[in-house]
Amino acid sequence: MCHTLLQVNPIEGFFFGSGKSMVVGGVAVIIIVGLGLWMWRMEKRIQRLDKAATRRSNEANKNPQA
Amino acid sequence: MRMIQRSWKIGGIALLAYVFWTTFTVPLGPGLLEFRDRNEAASTDGITKRIETYELIGLGTHWTVQPEELQLFIRKGDQITPLPVIDVINDTHAHAALLLPDTLPSKAWDVLVNHPVDGTLSLQNGLFVDGFVVDESARLPRPQLEERTADLPHHFPFQPRIFETIRNLMLHVPMWFTMFLLMGIAFVASIRQLSQSSGGSSHFDLRAQASVQVGMVFGVLGLLTGSLWARYTWGAWWVDDPQLNGALVTVLVYAGYLILRGSVEDERLKARLAAVYNLFAFVILMILLMVLPRFTESLHPGKGGNPGFNSYDLDSSLRAVFYPAVLGWMLLGTWMYRIRLQATRLNQKLQCLNDE
Repeated sequence: MCHTLLQVNPIEGFFFGSGKSMVVGGVAVIIIVGLGLWMWRMEKRIQRLDKAATRRSNEANKNPQA
Repeated sequence: MRMIQRSWKIGGIALLAYVFWTTFTVPLGPGLLEFRDRNEAASTDGITKRIETYELIGLGTHWTVQPEELQLFIRKGDQITPLPVIDVINDTHAHAALLLPDTLPSKAWDVLVNHPVDGTLSLQNGLFVDGFVVDESARLPRPQLEERTADLPHHFPFQPRIFETIRNLMLHVPMWFTMFLLMGIAFVASIRQLSQSSGGSSHFDLRAQASVQVGMVFGVLGLLTGSLWARYTWGAWWVDDPQLNGALVTVLVYAGYLILRGSVEDERLKARLAAVYNLFAFVILMILLMVLPRFTESLHPGKGGNPGFNSYDLDSSLRAVFYPAVLGWMLLGTWMYRIRLQATRLNQKLQCLNDE
């Protein structure tokens, strides 16, 4: 049965035999590093916006009429 | 301080990059797939004696390298006997003769293969003999079986029925661990929220909310990767199993937490109600995923007496990737939680500014 299972899933042999696994591994690494960079930038933006919002909030508290 | 803050995030991503690369590029070790009757007979002397021949099928084996060194045995308990290898067809196929005494101590036998490159491989209950007299007291001559270790570069262990999908271990299990961590953070935040006086801030409530939101992402990913694995190993996307059903119910319970939050407008009431609900949700998580499956029959590895990736399954090659995967996913999850928390706080701050 196991043998039959592998015969109907020839993609396994192709995937590793042809070196495609390297390509998939490379793409996965690029995706995870890309995700990390995106999160890094997003965190920086949020922090910048947070600082700006705090500054505006402080200004509004100082000049309540304005 | 800033350096530490940076390094754990970079470290998490670096660990995951290492995990993804090794997960997809490290080859699977050799193993035995089948030992089957060829429905042909070979004669030893060409005239009188006809012997059944069997086909030995391996996966990732190297039998054409030193084919004369390929040894085949069958074993039942401490009883072991060799079978002659007639012909090595290619790296993964060989023919053997079922040359056995008329009286055997058992019908079901494990098949063992010894090879200098692949080491000693076994196929449990790989041979079921028919047409022999079975006498449990029968004794076979014990040949010398010297177990060998594989002479191969770094590879993942061959596991019957799992095969190449063993790589999913680096995704599926750490995702659930990360969900547990995040739900644990939410649980602690909810306790601290409730321990505040009724007029206290919703600081911890926001933490619990952000943690559950990110934890839900990992929970759903855990369900998807588990379902994919089940399709390959059990033949169905979903089976009626206490572990699987428990996981789904847990995710639904936490979805209920988010729905509850959305249905209450008063901020203080929302914070307290959500915190109480979250305490129960975490207890349900523990019962459904950690306690109940251990007392019931389950297909899932590690549950109901079903051996999982424990001390003998999780060998050093898997550990070298699995532990960094657990740490990497947890660091990524924690980072996502922090960003989500910062975004929620910013949103709240901007709403206050707009109201003013």
